[in-house]
Amino acid sequence: MAGPLANYRFWAYAGLAVLLLALPLVGDEFWLNRVAKYLCYGMLGAAVALTWGYAGVLNLGQGLFFGIGAYAMAMGLKLKSYTSLQQGSDQPVPDFMLWNAQPGAPTELCCITPGSWLWLPFQWQWTGVIVAVVLPVLLAGIMGRIIFGQRISGVFVSIITLALVLLVRLVVVDAQPLTNGFNGLTDLGWLTVAGHEFDPYAKGTYYLVAVALILVLGLSRILVATRAGTILQATRDSDTRALYLGYDVPAYQTFFFAVSAGIAGLAGMLYVIVSEFASPSFLELSFSITMVVWAAVGGRGSILGAAVGAILINMIEARVSETEALVEAWKAIIGLLFVVTVIYLPKGLSGLAHDGIARLRMRRPALRLKEEAGQ
Amino acid sequence: MVDILFIGLSLSSILLLVALGLAVTYGAMGIINMAHGEMVMIGAYTAVMAKIWLGLGLIASIPLAFAVTALAGLAIERLVVRRLYGRLLDTLLATWGIAILLQQAIRLEFGLSFLGIHIAGLGSGLQNVPVPAALQGTVRLLGHDFNAYRIFIVAMTAVLAVATWAVMYRTALGMKVRAIIRNPQMAAACGIAVARTNALTFALGSGLAGVAGVLMAGFKTVAPDMGATLVVDGFMVVVTGGVGSLLGTVAASGLLGEFNALVAMASNDIIGRAAVFAVVIGVILLKPAGLFTFKGR
Amino acid sequence: MNLNRRKFLTTTATAGAALAAPGYLRRAMAAGEPIQVGALYSQTGGLSVVEKMLAAGVRMAAEEINAAGGVMGRPIEVLVEDGASDPKTYAEKAQKLVIRDRVSTVFGCHTSASRKAVLPIFERRGAMLFYQTHYEGFECSPNVVYSGAVPNQQLGNYLPWILETLGKKKVFIVGSNYVYPREMAKVSKGLIEAGGAEWVADEYLELGHSEWAVMVNKIKDSGADVVLSNVVGDSIISFYREFINQGLSHEEIPICATVTSEIEIAAMGPEYAAGSYTSFPYFMSLDTPANHSFIERYRAFVGDPQATTYHSLEAAYFQVFLWKQAVEASGDITAEAIREGVRGQEYAAPGGEVKIDEDNLHCWLTPRIGQWQADGQSKIVDEYPAPIKPLPYAAYGETADNLFCTREGLDSSKL
Repeated sequence: MAGPLANYRFWAYAGLAVLLLALPLVGDEFWLNRVAKYLCYGMLGAAVALTWGYAGVLNLGQGLFFGIGAYAMAMGLKLKSYTSLQQGSDQPVPDFMLWNAQPGAPTELCCITPGSWLWLPFQWQWTGVIVAVVLPVLLAGIMGRIIFGQRISGVFVSIITLALVLLVRLVVVDAQPLTNGFNGLTDLGWLTVAGHEFDPYAKGTYYLVAVALILVLGLSRILVATRAGTILQATRDSDTRALYLGYDVPAYQTFFFAVSAGIAGLAGMLYVIVSEFASPSFLELSFSITMVVWAAVGGRGSILGAAVGAILINMIEARVSETEALVEAWKAIIGLLFVVTVIYLPKGLSGLAHDGIARLRMRRPALRLKEEAGQ
Repeated sequence: MVDILFIGLSLSSILLLVALGLAVTYGAMGIINMAHGEMVMIGAYTAVMAKIWLGLGLIASIPLAFAVTALAGLAIERLVVRRLYGRLLDTLLATWGIAILLQQAIRLEFGLSFLGIHIAGLGSGLQNVPVPAALQGTVRLLGHDFNAYRIFIVAMTAVLAVATWAVMYRTALGMKVRAIIRNPQMAAACGIAVARTNALTFALGSGLAGVAGVLMAGFKTVAPDMGATLVVDGFMVVVTGGVGSLLGTVAASGLLGEFNALVAMASNDIIGRAAVFAVVIGVILLKPAGLFTFKGR
Repeated sequence: MNLNRRKFLTTTATAGAALAAPGYLRRAMAAGEPIQVGALYSQTGGLSVVEKMLAAGVRMAAEEINAAGGVMGRPIEVLVEDGASDPKTYAEKAQKLVIRDRVSTVFGCHTSASRKAVLPIFERRGAMLFYQTHYEGFECSPNVVYSGAVPNQQLGNYLPWILETLGKKKVFIVGSNYVYPREMAKVSKGLIEAGGAEWVADEYLELGHSEWAVMVNKIKDSGADVVLSNVVGDSIISFYREFINQGLSHEEIPICATVTSEIEIAAMGPEYAAGSYTSFPYFMSLDTPANHSFIERYRAFVGDPQATTYHSLEAAYFQVFLWKQAVEASGDITAEAIREGVRGQEYAAPGGEVKIDEDNLHCWLTPRIGQWQADGQSKIVDEYPAPIKPLPYAAYGETADNLFCTREGLDSSKL
């Protein structure tokens, strides 16, 4: 039997899970909705930690996958919005398509604007749910095969992902007849599963997000502890050495890149359910870099740490930005916090926690002996 | 067609203005300086302030801006970057934090706005710098009208590029820098003061950004967040050209600028910009080391 | 299809509010207790330069109302929230104001993107948004009062005037790449063709784009004799500068804008815009005692003797008075009461008489055309004698006799 400190990782995960599930007991609907959004950000933190901390690949375009997830879900929900049924057709047609339609075009989803047929599959809401996760995974798989197959690494991966997210953002904003451009997709309906509507402010929706986050964290943690995860960490520390040991390094990197993309897509999908809109601002560079900040402050080497970092920073930010005197100062504080973290706490808050626990264990040799005897 | 080629040249020169300083800091030192755009911004604000407080014109404020941003660069190197050598991605993150700090410093007027003190020229508002009368309007050359200020920028960029080349390849400092690029340990062993050289290099790169800022102030709005997009473009140029290759940076900026102008003219500006991103991605995928490069480090 | 869920939701939300009302009202009715309203504008980020002014306009109006005894004897308390120039933050802060703080009215938003992001919150939770920026129309929400201009109020007089008075025949349309400029272009094209002229191009640039060399070159080559600009934000400044620097002049090819205001003119240096035109219901240069007094009070309020005023700022200011009148007319501060109370309210704004339309909750405004002068102010070269009716669906054939958006909501069969 190991003591609580011996297995502190497990207890940390378990603690967070209990905390998240117990939260609806204390918060009101507004607060729960807000926390649910931050839990989505927590998933993003975990996704960044998975590639950056464990694979050494800094993806500066994680927003791309989040954006795909968000848009896929939003397309599905947009067709369920009552405004989509108001446009004078039997089948739902998004209102913005009417503004963008050529004069005389039929008010049908198939052909109202060029390319509007792409929306047809989204009449079935599960298309949105599936595409939100599968498309990021596929795209990341292809990107990974090309990028890692070429043995491109380090900052070059960052520049490619960054250029790609900016490119996609331009296209999304430009393709107004399909995406409503800069305004994004708003006025969405609700996700309905077996007759249950996911009202963004209801506890059910909060639980949907909370359980998803717990699963994501737990499964990611298990994944990095597997043999594949260990090999991945070896490639991070020296990919040449791992290659010489006979491992298919690009395959491992691609796999984790794709998993991380899937998590980001899931986060985007859930975010839309909670916040009821999708916007090209998800594809802005600053958002993708902000995710990296969350992970860095929380601890890039820890999936849990990165997720908690994301949630905490956002909670503090929300509080501070509602204090009028601190609005501008807050950004300066974030900048400073970040510089200090990178210099003095490269492992982030979770690194600090790890060190603290390690020190505690040193002070309690009896515990350590017991632990060793137990193994 | 001549018009378009000239516009392409002008776009190229603006890209190169930003990329020159980055080529020096990133190429020579392995520092991804995300605050480089903010150095441009500080250079532009130096011109604004010099106009308001000292009555200096745009051209007269160029050396001043170089000095101010070089000193700022030196301070950043001493306080932050120095601790991060060898941690490439960490420099990216730390300097991104610095970038936010610098933007906020201008917005909050170095914190004085909390005390109710307002300095003309700072704050979150938009500023502008008048262009000298001689550089306004157009110049007629070979039967075409050219924008005088853009010609000035192209000429200044050429001067700066040559000057940077001269510093890197014709001075003792440049020789040390190149030695450090090839092999820092060996350079140190040969008695080169690596830390001092790095500090000077960083100051040089920042100073170049400051000059770029003054020139940009002549045709762009000066605002605290003006540098944010510039740095991304600058990096794409440097990476496309090949890290550590000044010639590569010059060539890449020429290529991307002309390409942007031609595509934008043939279709529209949005596609022009998207095409530039696509080219950058393509180049990195096909030639990860950049178009022009040599084996080093 | 006939299952109008939004309607259902709104009713249930209102019913919920009504059930909660006794306690709420008892608390609220306590003599002199402030009425809380929200002001949701970006205090940080790229849009904060303009939006801070709008927030100041709202706060100034509230302060003046309070100094004059408040609304029904109660002072107004303005809760300012920061939208941070990001639709994500806008949605969050709107939730905070409407759900947590339970305000029934929020003055706010500037871009259409931010308005669209917060709209579902207002509609589902039964609160009112007062929105002051001129926008593209095509909206008929019972939860928004629009005090800014819609396309028919900016373009209806503008294009005929450009074609007839200026005698222009070839229009180059340029705008930022999003819905407002595209809708403006759509309305303009109809008016241009109706006026027997032609449009030679319809081009867009990314929002915030500041490199205008190629576009200005296209304008040069197009043979256009006038430019219709729906460009927004910082891009305006680099556009006008590039336009002059490439040797074009407003005398030969004037830029006729729908967004360029005193703010951008001041930031670019007035010499770059001298001779160009803008169509707005309000200009700072309006020579009326009410406007002089407004400018003076605004300058004193923000503590800047050089501060500029412009169309949206004026609208941000007077919408608070319209809200006050709505509250006093209906004697209550619920969203329902304000919506009904505000219909038909008139107010003598700094720019002249304004009135909220009984049907579509948009604002009757007086179209004016100003020509920019070397001092950064405008000279009014054309104006309507009286305010005209707002028609948010004008681009789709809406006329004063055939309304699409009425008290009952949008009649989608007419679209």
